Amino acid sequence: MPQSPDMINLGFLSDSERELILEVLRRDEELRQAEEQRVCWMSKRKGAKRGSGRYSQRSCGRCLEPLSRLSVFSSQCTTCNHYVCSKCRTVLPNGSWVCSVCAKESDLKKMTGDWFYDQRVNRFSTMPGHNLVRVSLKKKSPLKKRETMGEVLLRSTEINSDLPAPVPRPRQKIQTDNKGFVLILHISFRSSRKEDEEEEEDIDSLVSFHKRTMASSSSSLHSKSTMGSLMSIYSEAGDFDSVEVSGDIVFSLNYDEHTQSLQVFIKECQGLAFGDASRQLTNPYVKCYLLPDKSRQSKRKTTIKRNTINPVYKETLKYSISRSQLLTRSILISVWHHGRLSRNAFLGEVEIALDCRDLDTAYEDRMLALTDILLSNSFAQYKGELVISLKYITPKNVTTEKIKGKKAVTEEGGELHVLIKEAKNLMAMKPGGMSDSFVKGYLFPTKAKNTKRKTPVMKKNLNPHYDHTFVFKELSLEQLRGMCLELTVWDREAMLSNEFLGGIRLSSGKGTVKIGKEEVEKDSVGEEVSLWEKMMQYPDSWAEGTLPLRSTMGKAKAK
Amino acid sequence: MTDGDYDYLIKLLALGDSGVGKTTFLYRYTDNKFNPKFITTVGIDFREKRVVYTASNPNGTTTGKTFKVHLQLWDTAGQERFRSLTTAFFRDAMGFLLMFDLTSQQSFLNVRNWMSQLQANAYCENPDIVLVGNKADLADQREVQEKQAKELADKYGIPYFETSAATGAEVDKAVITLLDLVMKRMEQCVDKPPAEPANGNGATKLGDAQPNEKKCAC
Repeated sequence: MPQSPDMINLGFLSDSERELILEVLRRDEELRQAEEQRVCWMSKRKGAKRGSGRYSQRSCGRCLEPLSRLSVFSSQCTTCNHYVCSKCRTVLPNGSWVCSVCAKESDLKKMTGDWFYDQRVNRFSTMPGHNLVRVSLKKKSPLKKRETMGEVLLRSTEINSDLPAPVPRPRQKIQTDNKGFVLILHISFRSSRKEDEEEEEDIDSLVSFHKRTMASSSSSLHSKSTMGSLMSIYSEAGDFDSVEVSGDIVFSLNYDEHTQSLQVFIKECQGLAFGDASRQLTNPYVKCYLLPDKSRQSKRKTTIKRNTINPVYKETLKYSISRSQLLTRSILISVWHHGRLSRNAFLGEVEIALDCRDLDTAYEDRMLALTDILLSNSFAQYKGELVISLKYITPKNVTTEKIKGKKAVTEEGGELHVLIKEAKNLMAMKPGGMSDSFVKGYLFPTKAKNTKRKTPVMKKNLNPHYDHTFVFKELSLEQLRGMCLELTVWDREAMLSNEFLGGIRLSSGKGTVKIGKEEVEKDSVGEEVSLWEKMMQYPDSWAEGTLPLRSTMGKAKAK
Repeated sequence: MTDGDYDYLIKLLALGDSGVGKTTFLYRYTDNKFNPKFITTVGIDFREKRVVYTASNPNGTTTGKTFKVHLQLWDTAGQERFRSLTTAFFRDAMGFLLMFDLTSQQSFLNVRNWMSQLQANAYCENPDIVLVGNKADLADQREVQEKQAKELADKYGIPYFETSAATGAEVDKAVITLLDLVMKRMEQCVDKPPAEPANGNGATKLGDAQPNEKKCAC
């Protein structure tokens, strides 16, 4: 029996070899995505349809035109056995014919490569994880069928190694077939989100991907591997439910000289809040960061306990770090409700500076009350600054437009120009103390789908100059007054989800604005408000400012 | 390079002993250039090429229909230490270029081993393969005679080509022949064997006279 691909051990490769191979796999990933997009597009426009109406042998099974008596006997499609008139036939190279639908189907099988994958499935059907999916979804399981070795390996590099190795971007699309199954198709995000031609996913799609993953009955390896990295962005960019924080956490810290590692022993939590208030439910897990590193390398998590507000973990989270380095670090322990079908909820956190701790006394339990600092102090942590200029350009040539009629006048609006000049002192996310950053901009409430703007990526620079202008068109000053501009800085991670570096939210600071489906408070403060106001006050001139980046974009729900 | 403007994505894979010239062969095919330097392939690699394929009837005449084919040509390391990795990629290829070095008897003897590796790890037990004896330009160093190789290829029922990545001789032909085999296989897989031919008026039955060649296992 052929070896299962998940069993391949790449331990024999050197680091540089691994890098080279990963590079090849990444190229393959690109090609595969283009192919998936093509396949997706093709499958959507099959063209011919099977007639669903009732018909007898006397009428054509395709166009339902009556068949002449004579032809009835010679008009059966050899593949589907339907009676078909001469117009609905496709002649094959060998001179025989099949009906137009069967011809289309076989064309599709060829073009999509399904002919190959269908064959292969016969041979490699004992792959791990295959059975479950295939049993429940029988034929319609393109998920694993189209999977290639390159894909498996690229993914496994993340699961199996500690290296920050890239994995394919989360790519999923959910379809419900007529039996009500949820199917996960291996189709790239880009293909399911045609309008979004840019390379990076935004947080919304990441989050919705995450939700869909959780909602799917057959969670694949794929989704598991990407889940971890999603979570931190997910939380940092503020898309989570907030609850009244309550309860305590019991844990201990210990430095093990022998293994040169810091051990965080999470014993239990007591009296947690309900993450899902409506269902009085909490599925808590504990997440840990060794600050100031808030990247995924620093993230450790416990298991998720089901339906309890007093979870007992007794799990040890380890960090390999020299003792001297610990002095400048602190440990951030947060508790989260894992929403299976809904959003995750923040249940509280504690932060412990490690400088003055006596770490030699092993396993002395501490009990600390959980606090709700995450939401309140989005500026507490210095994340760097963003230098921007804003200008509102008043509508021009209103008089000339009038000649064309009323419609033209209303359509011709002003423009908001947002010049993203530079960022200063960004967090380093990549090895070598660098980040490949870009800025993303949204204007809320979103008028159309395309209010998202992005700058190019500035590589290996913690003080990048973007000098890029976002233009939002057809806005009146009056509209702008109720709007909110969100600019977020991200570390671009090819193949992986991007890392959140910080953001700002510009608005009048008063009232609420609709973001997505939620009404949230315009929580802009300080310069975020004054710059916005200045822009409104002096149209047609630049208002420039240097704004501190928030460490989280957590939104306060309007009450 | 990889815009979706093609009709078929066909994945081929080159395999064979280390140093037989898989990489240079593919480089010659995709870029029509020759690189005499020997740089051992680390694990796996691939090259791409867009070709136009003209469909032909089973009897050899062209139908005039052309398709754009995007070829993904996987290059594998011949070295033993990468074996577990490279054989794992066999399952994703639709056709294979099994290569040996005409100036190395050993590489030819190993064709048997590669053949069994293929049978064990490819997508089906009898995938489409073309046997390629490379370095035909080095006539004075030749160790494998054409007759020997031809006999072996016949035994397996696969085409045989003597190529030279250095001069480019037969390189295109070997790949195109393999592509043709794969495309034919594709047609066979898709056209289910006609169950009961309709009591036709004669004209529709032309195809039934064709001898069934290799039948795939679908």
